[in-house]
Amino acid sequence: MRLLIVEDDPDLRVSVVERFKEAGFNVDAAADGEEGLYCATEFPLDLAIIDLGLPKLPGLELIKKLRAQSKSYPVLILTARDRWQDKVEGLQAGADDYVVKPFHFEELLARVQALLRRSGGWAQPVLRCGPVALDTRTQEVTVNGARVELTSFEYRILEHLIHRAGEVISKAELTERLYAQDFDRDSNTIEVFIGRLRRKLDPEDTIKPIETLRGRGYRFALQRESAV
Amino acid sequence: MSAVEESRERRSSGAEAAPTAAPPRSLSTRLLVSVSILLITFFGLTIAALDLVFREVTDQAMRDRLEAHLLALIVASEEDAGDLVPATEKLDERLKNPGSGLYGEIMRADGYPSWRSNSLTGSGLTFDAQPHVGAREYGELRRGDGAPVRALSRSLAWQFDDGVTRVFVFSVAEDLQPYNAQLNRFRGQLFGWFGILLLLLLGALAMLLRRLLAPLRRIEREIEAIETGAADELGDGYPRELLGVTSKLNALLRSERERLARYRNTLGNLAHSFKTPLAVMRNLLHGAQGRDLPVIRQLDEQIGRMDDIVKYQLKRAAASGSGGLGAGRVDMREALEGLRAALLKVYAERNVVCELSVDDNVYFAGDREDLMEIAGNLLDNAFKWTRSRVQVTVSKICREGVRRDGLQLIVEDDGPGVPESERERVLERGARLDERVSGQGIGLSIVRELVELNGGSIAIGSSPALGGARIEVRLPPI
Repeated sequence: MRLLIVEDDPDLRVSVVERFKEAGFNVDAAADGEEGLYCATEFPLDLAIIDLGLPKLPGLELIKKLRAQSKSYPVLILTARDRWQDKVEGLQAGADDYVVKPFHFEELLARVQALLRRSGGWAQPVLRCGPVALDTRTQEVTVNGARVELTSFEYRILEHLIHRAGEVISKAELTERLYAQDFDRDSNTIEVFIGRLRRKLDPEDTIKPIETLRGRGYRFALQRESAV
Repeated sequence: MSAVEESRERRSSGAEAAPTAAPPRSLSTRLLVSVSILLITFFGLTIAALDLVFREVTDQAMRDRLEAHLLALIVASEEDAGDLVPATEKLDERLKNPGSGLYGEIMRADGYPSWRSNSLTGSGLTFDAQPHVGAREYGELRRGDGAPVRALSRSLAWQFDDGVTRVFVFSVAEDLQPYNAQLNRFRGQLFGWFGILLLLLLGALAMLLRRLLAPLRRIEREIEAIETGAADELGDGYPRELLGVTSKLNALLRSERERLARYRNTLGNLAHSFKTPLAVMRNLLHGAQGRDLPVIRQLDEQIGRMDDIVKYQLKRAAASGSGGLGAGRVDMREALEGLRAALLKVYAERNVVCELSVDDNVYFAGDREDLMEIAGNLLDNAFKWTRSRVQVTVSKICREGVRRDGLQLIVEDDGPGVPESERERVLERGARLDERVSGQGIGLSIVRELVELNGGSIAIGSSPALGGARIEVRLPPI
């Protein structure tokens, strides 16, 4: 999952970026509103975290501009002022949730995961598709109740596919959202990881969780169970 | 500098001014009453003077007429066997006809009439004047039926042809009734015209006053609009005499608004620059090795406490409070719908049903930020604790003779509610904040503080309909 964090305080930005990276996210960071707008419109993001009190371009304006450009990914507001007027204006401008400083990172992470889930159409923190279950809180994956050990990267690919189960996701999109900018963008790597995932989730080749659509990408083919 | 204390003072002074004993008299009434008194006195004196002059003039005219009749009678008189009798053909026609109103008599010195006019027949009038020879007597007599007549008598020594000189009293009289009728007609016209004139003058004056005082009434209207929040400041186009007042008042309103905005901006910057480092500290603490050490937990708790105190004090300081002129007004439905939409978004996963029932045209007479904090915290609390239903009810509180309506805001939910023993404590003031355990939430203390600054009260109960908490905020009419 690819996140953008727009926060002007360098200490806070660096520490939050680090924590999200630890949690397995692909993170972009911007220090002011204009830089944030550039990142938010140029990168294929899954979610943006935006501080309201930003230099150059206020957070509220940034959100309005994003929405005006039809960027529909979830936006989470960070705010220090904690005024209801600000929160309402932010949510009206197109944000989806807010977190008030000083926050606990765990709370921010939980809100981010909930927003990602919701944007994929999931209501529960455990995403179930047929026999496959993915717990976004513990990052555990089970098939028919049996735990499957995945590497961090395998988990991130699977999470992305299950989040948007039923949709076709191109190789290029997967690459962009999972790799940091300067990473090796050889699309064959994705194929290798998909192959590994298939073997781990479906060793007997019976449930066929991941479809390959030639020239278009991949699709998680199992039926959602708790879709809203 | 404390906006809070200021607003408290404003509120208390407003409360004292409210129950004034008698309504003050208006400038225009005062002016109209005194001008009326002046005009009525002036016109009364004029009428009295005119009346006096008219009576004198007509009286004089009557005397002159009687004098002429008397002279004519004397001239017409001829000797007749020791008596004097006027020649009939020389007599005034009226003297010959009974009831004509003009009477005549020639009396001998011995008291026997030498001649009585025909008109005296049946009148019951007797002349009794006996002036000295050559003198006149002028006065008022009464006819037999009591009607007044004006009479003139003159005594003359008449030398007869036989050389004897005899004294006769010549008298003429005329009914006063036509004279009185004329006088009354004159008086009636006088009063009528002056009355019309008085009314015209007063009407003109009233209209003039209306025009003159129109700017004052406009000021009153506009201040009322500012009070109820429908306008921000007084308009332009006032006459020169009032421009000083209106422009100063506008400047005062503007500077008050700007001061509050500047003040809040400073507080916001303070919050931002204070809370961001706190957020950094929290992140560092939890990112560190051994994040489960007791000392880390304690430090985190202290950060929470600092945050609570700062949050509470900043919100309290940023409150506008009530009573300030130009504080504005907020449409309750619009504000609550905004909040509901925001909270439904934030609590999307909870599938909360939030019903808003707001009376038409209910306005919060005060600062938008104050209302948003009050309602935002109450609704957020309800969403936090509810299982599935939140009910928000707003009704208007009207009171006769009060300009600004009050309102009642009730937020109910179907959550666990607030136990009775806790109700007092959750509303506790911020003074005891540092004695609290962090994380308990200071939302309701802030709400209470803001509600009280706006002259209202808050009560926690339980909802009979939904079974959870019921929080009622009352803001009385001012």
